Amino acid sequence: MQADLDRALAAVNRVIVDKSEVVELAFSALLAGGHLLIEDLPGVGKTTLAQALSLILGGSWQRVQFTNDMLPADILGVSVFRRDDEQFEFRPGPVFANVVLADEINRATPRTQSALLEAMAEGQVTVDGQTHRLPQPFFVIATQNPLDMAGTYPLPDSQLDRFLLRTAIGYPAPAEERRLLIEPDRRQLLTELNAELDGARVMELIQRAASLHVAEPVIDYIQALIQATRAHAGLRAGLSPRAALALIRTARANALVRGQTFCLPENVKLIFPALAGHRLQPLPESGLSSTDVVEEIIDVTPVP
Amino acid sequence: MKQLPPFSAVAWTIAAFVISALPHLAAMPPWLAAGILGACAWRLAAARYRWGPPPRLLRIVLTGVALVFVLVAFGGLWGRRTATVLLCVMLGAKMMEMFAVRDLRLVASVSFFLIATQFLFSERLIYLVYLVSGSLVATIALTRIQTVHGGQWTARGGSELPAIRQAAVLLMLAAPVALTLFVLFPRLAQPLWGLPDQVMDGRTGLSEDMSPGSISNLFLDDSPAFRVEFDGPPPPPGERYWRGPVLWNFDGTTWTRPFFGDAPSRQFVAEGPRSLSYQVQLEPHERRWLFVLDYPVRGPDQALITVDHQMLNRHPVTTLTRYDVVSNPDFTDMPELSSGAQAVALRLPEDRNPRTRALAQELRERHPDDRALINAVLGWFREEAFYYTLSAAPLGRHGADEFLFDLRSGYCEYYASAFAILMRAAGIPTRIVTGYQGGFWQAASEYLLVRQSDAHAWTEVWLEGDGWTRVDPTAAVSPARIEQGSRSVIDGPRHLFDLNWVENLRNQYDRIQHLWNRWVLGFDHDRQRSFLRGLGLPDLTTDRIALLMLLVLGLVMAPLSYALLRQPRGRAASEVERAWQLMLRRLKRRGLTRQASETPLEFARRVRNARPQEGERIVELALMYCRIHYGEVQDDARPFIEQARAFRPARA
Repeated sequence: MQADLDRALAAVNRVIVDKSEVVELAFSALLAGGHLLIEDLPGVGKTTLAQALSLILGGSWQRVQFTNDMLPADILGVSVFRRDDEQFEFRPGPVFANVVLADEINRATPRTQSALLEAMAEGQVTVDGQTHRLPQPFFVIATQNPLDMAGTYPLPDSQLDRFLLRTAIGYPAPAEERRLLIEPDRRQLLTELNAELDGARVMELIQRAASLHVAEPVIDYIQALIQATRAHAGLRAGLSPRAALALIRTARANALVRGQTFCLPENVKLIFPALAGHRLQPLPESGLSSTDVVEEIIDVTPVP
Repeated sequence: MKQLPPFSAVAWTIAAFVISALPHLAAMPPWLAAGILGACAWRLAAARYRWGPPPRLLRIVLTGVALVFVLVAFGGLWGRRTATVLLCVMLGAKMMEMFAVRDLRLVASVSFFLIATQFLFSERLIYLVYLVSGSLVATIALTRIQTVHGGQWTARGGSELPAIRQAAVLLMLAAPVALTLFVLFPRLAQPLWGLPDQVMDGRTGLSEDMSPGSISNLFLDDSPAFRVEFDGPPPPPGERYWRGPVLWNFDGTTWTRPFFGDAPSRQFVAEGPRSLSYQVQLEPHERRWLFVLDYPVRGPDQALITVDHQMLNRHPVTTLTRYDVVSNPDFTDMPELSSGAQAVALRLPEDRNPRTRALAQELRERHPDDRALINAVLGWFREEAFYYTLSAAPLGRHGADEFLFDLRSGYCEYYASAFAILMRAAGIPTRIVTGYQGGFWQAASEYLLVRQSDAHAWTEVWLEGDGWTRVDPTAAVSPARIEQGSRSVIDGPRHLFDLNWVENLRNQYDRIQHLWNRWVLGFDHDRQRSFLRGLGLPDLTTDRIALLMLLVLGLVMAPLSYALLRQPRGRAASEVERAWQLMLRRLKRRGLTRQASETPLEFARRVRNARPQEGERIVELALMYCRIHYGEVQDDARPFIEQARAFRPARA
């Protein structure tokens, strides 16, 4: 089981060059049962990462390119009336897949966005009074362009909370980028990927992650970090207990991804920026970004 | 600046010290005690007003002065008393530097020892109260000090009750262990301290009869015969005649006890104004005598006072025996002498010592009065060239003749015997008393030590109106013999608890006292054996008893240990933490400081980058630490603790 996970990780890292940390976060979000938001410029490999993940997981995958004229039904699916047997038939939308890549989610209107986000939160879709369960595992990788770009609707705060982690990808290092240029096309590499995991094994890994040991000092550390966000003068509000629960869950998943049998403060430290960054709003007068605040908190909080 | 210990911990520690030092303070010169209490008061004020320790030089000087005071007070006399007083004074000096956890803990711990030392001086019941209260307060102090965590005094203020309760619980938990140790600790037939060579091992004590040389044989034996503690000032050296066998019969060479020697006295000796009360701790001498001062009013229950005022134990004394005696020196013994007793007290072998008998006749004609005759003989002893010596020649058939007219030098039994023969020949009823005379007054410890070398023989003559009257011819020859070993007598009560109300209390609790004596003080080798026999156990050897003790101790402590061990790895974890902190401190000295926000592994990897030569080792240790500190399955922490303690970073 652990070997499968290691192989899956290695395979994805072969495709996505020099971004092992992002890959690790993606796997952590997956095994914590959450969803990932990637915020970056077009062309840094978001889609490739999503495709690689879905191939590795061996399940179905769908890609939804969000546009500003998109409607909720375009994502969730529609009921159509069939003349033959005079019945409504549900045609599932692209959200019915194990891995969904929601590209440029902030190009859609808030109404459409919330349709997806509610599906993510509930794990089910309700159309015309009928409830349809989404497949398990269900993992959404959404991408978002930086907010200052034209023609975007920023995700509202309450919806951002639906994403377990938010991360950026960034440019590769020059040497790695050179490899990217020399090596065959990524798309070709993707076709070489094998499904190292399947739905059942992912569910088992999720359960295993949830029961991983977290020692008292690590819990102390998590509490200290959460408390620091609440005491910070430059923030509008601190992290909620739900965020604290998400932190410990994701730290466990990260420990599993790294092949540990217990949780270390390192796992918490790695997860915390991705988990807290999009949940915290700095006061405008502080002049700080949420990333600055998170880094500052990590720098001053002692590790027990 | 180092944090000062909280007031409560200091106050309890000082209280523990003062309580445990109380009897010792009372036994030392008042100005010395005042100095110690002053130091305690200063420390208390320092805790109250947050003063720091006095300058180092001042501390050294004050300690030196205190030492000199002790030397002056006890004149360099080294004894139990001097040692305990010195301990008290040093602890008093410690008050000046009692500012760290270590020092507080030391003072509180030594307080326990101080309590124990008091039992070298007295084992009376009152000290049980002292023992319990002192131990309780010292335990409270230790509990209070223990609220220190990781070098920091925790700000645990408020009620003292939790500490008191905790200390009481600790003492109660210790009680079964103490009881087990008391009952089952193998008792030796003799106490361990102070009394070496308990068995007679070939030596002889005072014998039952007296012949020339029988007492001087003991002169070189410096082993103790008995020790005496007086309830009041001891009698002057000239009155320290410790009565042993009284000898009436003389066969020409040897003086022996008469057939009525074991008959109980029919005279009632009343207490008088000069009555003396004292306790004797008699070393085993394998005979029945309990040595007493003239004349015993009452002794222990099992003892018999004979017609000539010897005190006899029921059985030969084979273990260290304590007994209380009251003596009245002013008693008149036998104002009327029966004709039978007179006959025995005048009997002499007809065919011996003709010159002595002739001298007696001559003296009798010159001095019709008995008293004048005795004085004349004593004066003769004093003025003629009589010598008191150990190296006396053996005497022949006419021993008294040889001694009085030729040798004129000898030990006390020569003088006593010759004097008695002379008196009897002159018609004065005379008997010989053997025993001990004098003793060494241990001023520092306040007891009289009587050695075998103090063995002595003197005479008693019967005088009309005065009854039996002690006459010591040796005193006429050598007054120094009687005065030797005398020391100045310390006035005042012996110790703090030598007070009337305590005496009353003691009488009231006489029943408890009796039990205490019987079951605690008297719980010796024999009683332990009979107790075990009472439990249905066969006679056990000492090592079997020791095994039994360990077994019972194990049983007693098993539930406790189980309860303690069940507590989650508190101690082990803290030990791991200490080892890790030690390692971090050593790295810090080499300029490698772990940032608070660094995880152990982050730090170790940073060190590895900075110092590759030992970085691997540090990462390895950090991994071990993480496994214990953050892991679920508790690995054996021992290897980590040992390796982390042994780790020494190289100089950069």
